[in-house]
Amino acid sequence: MLNRIILWMPQLLKGARTTIIITLISVSIGLVLAVFLALGKMSKHKIFSAPCSAYIFFFRGTPLLMQIYFIYFGLPQLNPALTIQSAFVAALIAYVLNTAAYLAENIRAGIQSIDKGQFEASKALGLTYGQTMRLVIIPQTVRRLIPPVGNEFIMVLKDVSLVAIIGLTDLTKVTRAISSSSATALVYIPAMILYLIITAFFTFIFNKLENKYSVYQ
Amino acid sequence: MSMIRTENICKNFGDLKVLKNVNLTVEQGEVVVIIGPSGAGKSTFLRSLNTLEKITSGKIYIEDELFYHRENDTTVNKMEKEKFSSMLLEMGMVFQQFNLFPHLTVLENVMLAPVNVRKREKEEAEKTARELLEKVGLSDKADVYPSRLSGGQQQRVAIARALAMEPKVMLFDEPTSALDPELVGEVLNVMKDLANQGMTMLCVTHEMGFAREVADKVIFMADGQILEEGKPEEVFGNPKSPQAQQFLRSVL
Repeated sequence: MLNRIILWMPQLLKGARTTIIITLISVSIGLVLAVFLALGKMSKHKIFSAPCSAYIFFFRGTPLLMQIYFIYFGLPQLNPALTIQSAFVAALIAYVLNTAAYLAENIRAGIQSIDKGQFEASKALGLTYGQTMRLVIIPQTVRRLIPPVGNEFIMVLKDVSLVAIIGLTDLTKVTRAISSSSATALVYIPAMILYLIITAFFTFIFNKLENKYSVYQ
Repeated sequence: MSMIRTENICKNFGDLKVLKNVNLTVEQGEVVVIIGPSGAGKSTFLRSLNTLEKITSGKIYIEDELFYHRENDTTVNKMEKEKFSSMLLEMGMVFQQFNLFPHLTVLENVMLAPVNVRKREKEEAEKTARELLEKVGLSDKADVYPSRLSGGQQQRVAIARALAMEPKVMLFDEPTSALDPELVGEVLNVMKDLANQGMTMLCVTHEMGFAREVADKVIFMADGQILEEGKPEEVFGNPKSPQAQQFLRSVL
């Protein structure tokens, strides 16, 4: 058994690398997009809030699997100019757009959980809306956001297994390939352990971040 | 020249009339204390002065210039935008719940607005901030976070933070109501010092001792109206309205 695990390991690690890279890039870019979506959705002006709400509704309301399919296969048929050559880039786009919708709702909840006295004090001191958000509200939201963002991160990590449908080889895909070529399902054991190690590592990082941002509490 | 003058301020929350034609003048250097039962509209009135509360109708003048004028819940006239913003900065506010920024140290709390709104140099703002903290007796707490301070200390930081913007008038919205009794004195002392230095102040408070001792003028409000207005000895010694008589009997 151990021999076989050692034999499989290079392939499994390569798959794990793809999984981690897609997750890290998607959640990082998704977070930036999510801040704008959240602020947009909370805006008093319909021109901002309506499209942001519609966006979030769409990406949370349809299966991620379909979104990946559609971005890779559907868009080129809609208009050839929308063709995305690289399956990797197509996957990234799908994950960024999808996770941003979920993260936006987390961010909105975080901002709305801040006491309204903070907004009033900022206003009384003459801070503009932008300054209030940037200097007072968002920094306080960050610590509260770490647990839900960590949660979303782990969800994405596992959802990356869907990329196999457009021909990418992540950890799940590698495991299935080994399983069928070597006619043993036991390869799932080291694969699942790898997932757990990755999850444990990032959970550790998020806990560290949470402690770091807790200094003032 | 009057610092603040209001004309017929009215505020409705739906059918509820919270303020009914409130007319008040605060002269420069004057300390005006507003007392009255809860629900009288005292805080709403104070908060309408710096636009935290949107009034239904009425006019507010700052230094004898029209600050804004509203009718039927819409602004009909207002100072030109830049002047309006700078006038808003002339009013410092201290809240019942302190509302310090918990993610910033005491010093950073005091420096935030001067640096970002008044565009002061960091060194200059820090120097002023440290002087103000000295003034409120908290120079040794400059680098701690607000959560490490007692309520009284937090409120003194909040006063320093408002003063850092060099306002011409300070609005106090029940500054000691959220404090444990033994911490009230330290905040009132800071406010007394401020009054003695000639700051124009408008305070909503339940501290009758403070009103008696420091106020130039005491206002008694009930049911959204000003029912008594005069020197402390007049309002406390010889209240005319039955509401004021009853209120003062219950609190003194």
